[in-house]
Amino acid sequence: MDFSDEILMAYADEELEPAQRAAIEQAMAGDPEIARRVAAHRALRERIRGAYEPVLREAIPGRLLEPLRERSADRDNVIPLRRGARPLGRSASRWTALAASLLLGAVIALFADRLGGVGPFATRDGRLLARGALATALNRQLASSQGPQAPVQIGVSYRAKDGEYCRTFTLRNGAALAGLACHDAQGWRMQMLVQAPAERAAGAQYRRAASPLPSAILQAVEAGISGEPLDAREEARARSSGWRP
Amino acid sequence: MEENGREDRTSDITAMRESNEALREEIVSMLPRLRRFARALARNTHDADDLVQIAIERALTRWQQLRPDSNPLSWLFGILRNAWLDEARGRARRGRLFAPAERAEQIADPLTSAPASVLVVEDALARLPQEQRIAVALVLIEGLSYAEAAEILGVPMGTLTSRLARGRAALQSLLS
Repeated sequence: MDFSDEILMAYADEELEPAQRAAIEQAMAGDPEIARRVAAHRALRERIRGAYEPVLREAIPGRLLEPLRERSADRDNVIPLRRGARPLGRSASRWTALAASLLLGAVIALFADRLGGVGPFATRDGRLLARGALATALNRQLASSQGPQAPVQIGVSYRAKDGEYCRTFTLRNGAALAGLACHDAQGWRMQMLVQAPAERAAGAQYRRAASPLPSAILQAVEAGISGEPLDAREEARARSSGWRP
Repeated sequence: MEENGREDRTSDITAMRESNEALREEIVSMLPRLRRFARALARNTHDADDLVQIAIERALTRWQQLRPDSNPLSWLFGILRNAWLDEARGRARRGRLFAPAERAEQIADPLTSAPASVLVVEDALARLPQEQRIAVALVLIEGLSYAEAAEILGVPMGTLTSRLARGRAALQSLLS
């Protein structure tokens, strides 16, 4: 009796039903050629598997573990900025970046008790999203027509290099806080949050030329902006498109 | 999705984050096998780890798509395989086809001082057409059943066994 190579292969891989297996074992006992073919399949399998087996014992590179550890940092109330977003320009010093992330940690701590309630932020999938009055302002408020007493002041709005709309804002309700948020399918995602100097936050004029925005945020805007900030008409048009690129 | 007035989502978010956390831990435990599978596809250690990195990133952004009844390892093998096919197509489009197998020995990662017997196997595997190489990697190297491998590839069992048989026959003659 002859067997196809596929059947013998399946036998070597232990994929056959008991009846087929018994038939092949019987044939192998009577025909050394069939036994040889099965042995060849098994030997090949072992050889291939054996060649790659040492990979399992190699040290795992840190760059593969790093994105999988992100969550534990988050649990300690330091919410990382989106990976790959690089809010600071490449030229910005590492100290500025460090200061910004420490501030972010402080800000999160400040709002941590409200995260489950009605604070301005919600976390989702490891990212910090605007909600409540902040989300409403980012969605609806135009820098060109906002009142000077509005609790959220919108600064510049612009298109980022990846096409997303981003807006800077300051928040004066409870804490003087400045931030940069970009819009994606889930809403307004915080790229950066900085504690704003109080006397500046009290000012009402948010023009780019003499901006009271913290320099870290301005640097992030400079690094991420594509073209010029939106003017009043472009801003209104972006709003009516739902901030979708 | 609008973010206003969704405080009631907090508990959903907590549950989602917990299962995301569980997945991260699971991926960490699967890394040795993901790296091995990637190495069988891409050969070069650095390229293979790039592939694993892409697969991790995709898994973390799409983990909601993982059905509760499906096996996370199979799911990740599938993501990794798709990432590899994207990469292979990209290379072909840019006109940088894979280095000829004859050169494989010279470009093999100098950091892996793999014995010659291993390099010979790697060379042979690198010569197989993609679909055969993937089938061989899943079944012979990763030890998956035919049914598991066919499901990852989204092909009928018959297609899987035929790719595997052809891949094996080619390896047999390359290695003999």
